[in-house]
Order: sequence, then C-alpha cells, then structure tokens
Amino acid sequence: MTVPASHILLLAALLFAIGVAGFFLRRNVIVVLMCIELMLNAANLTFLAASRMHTLANGGRPDLQGPIFAIFVIVVAAVEAAVGLALVIALYRNKQTVSLDDVADLKN
Amino acid sequence: MANLIFYVMAALTVAAALGVVVARNPMMSILALLGSFFALATIYLLAGFQTLAALQILVYAGAILVLFLFVIMLLNLADVGPLERIDLALFHERKTVWTLAVAGALLGLGAFVALGAPPAAAASEAALPKGGIDGLQGLADEMFSRYLLPFELISVLLLATAVAVVVLAKRQRGGAR
Repeated sequence: MTVPASHILLLAALLFAIGVAGFFLRRNVIVVLMCIELMLNAANLTFLAASRMHTLANGGRPDLQGPIFAIFVIVVAAVEAAVGLALVIALYRNKQTVSLDDVADLKN
Repeated sequence: MANLIFYVMAALTVAAALGVVVARNPMMSILALLGSFFALATIYLLAGFQTLAALQILVYAGAILVLFLFVIMLLNLADVGPLERIDLALFHERKTVWTLAVAGALLGLGAFVALGAPPAAAASEAALPKGGIDGLQGLADEMFSRYLLPFELISVLLLATAVAVVVLAKRQRGGAR
C-alpha cells in the first residue's frame, strides 16, 4: 500500500469528529459509550499511522511505540466499556431509564 | 490494488461510523460499529500491522462489542422503540448546530495537521519490514523491557476494574431496590 500518511491521518480525524458529534447529539447512554469507542479507535489509527510514517522514514526499522500505545489504548477502552456498562446497569436498576435527559440530578 | 482497497475500506469505516450516530435502534448502532471495526482492522492489515489487526477483531469485536450486546439484551432495550427522535427537526435546536460546529472545527484542525504531514511516507511497500511492522517478537521484546512498568500498571488497572464492576453491578443485599 502506498497511501500517504496524511490520508490515514485524515481518516482518523474524520472518525474522531463523527465520534464527537455523536457523543453530544445522542441521548441514549449506550450509544454515547459507543461513540467514545469510535473516538478511541480514531486515536489508535493515529498512533499506527505515525508508527508507519516513522518506520518508512527510518528505512524499514520498525517503530514499535505506536503499536504498543495502541495496545494500551485497547485495554483502556475495554476498561472504560466495562465500567460504563456497569454504571448503565446500576442506572437502569435505580431509574428504569437509559436516557441522559432523565438523569439531570446534578444540573444547576 | 492495495490502495484501492484502502480507500474502499476508509469509505466503509466512515459510513459505518455515521451509521452508529444516526441509527435509531441501539442494536443497529452495534451492528454498524461492528462493520466499522472490521473495516478498520482491514486498514491496519494493509498498513502493515498484523498483530494489531488481530487484536482489533479479538478484543474490540469479540469482547467489547459482545459486552454492549449483553447489556442491550439484559435491559431489553432492543424493543423499547426509538428512545429519541432523529430527523431534520433536530437542526432547529441550538445544541445541534453548536455540536456540529465544534465537530467541524475539530475536523478542520485534524485535516490541517494531517495535510502538513511529511509526504515522504508515500514510499514503496518494499521499504516496510518483512513480517509487518508489529511482529510479535519485536512487540514482546519492547513490551517486556522498555514498557514493563506501564504493562504492570495496566494489569493493576484491569484488576481494579474487575473489582469495581462486580461492586457496581451487584444487587444491594437486603435492599428493596
């Protein structure tokens, strides 16, 4: 593949922007969590694009910082999903809703 | 050929991500997210990251998405009906306009940075190492020497999360809730 790094980075920026838009527009907690996953994926793609760029610039010597940080991001995403979904279950048990509009106790 | 596959998969990823945001039914959002993850895994593979592509499918599609699926099934959300209205009337709200403005600004910033990236990366396939950039051996060497401390820290984080999730999701004993 001879795609320039800027196109991969552009794809990551697009994914991140879509995730941000969904995060603020949607009311359903579960969909909001999914949008966070989208943003984390965009971050991963950025790490890997940078790693590829540096590997090519170094004449083929693998740059492993990108993949290792991507692995850490994947672990953090799993942790975030687990805690977030446990919170959703606790919320549903107490309030019988998953809509963020119904959970405004801390507002004002 | 590989370039063509990259652009097709990139378009697929973006379309699926948009599907996550606009789908009314959370189940449809999950399916769209699944498609987006698989397209991204293909892109990782094309870019020379075999291990990360496998991890993307195993951990993201195999574990995290199934967790989402479990919760939707458990709470019986799939047949609640659309929780919110998603149509053009949304654009009359001030919040929507602001959100899209902020997202567009972020996209512009990202594009500005991306297009400033050095064009040297358009080198040929032959410049990449044979077994992909993230060969398992090189990855493990680096992970267990230079990045040993973060590795241990993230294991502690996982343990703490397991305990926290059990505590959060446990039904309160004796409580009428």
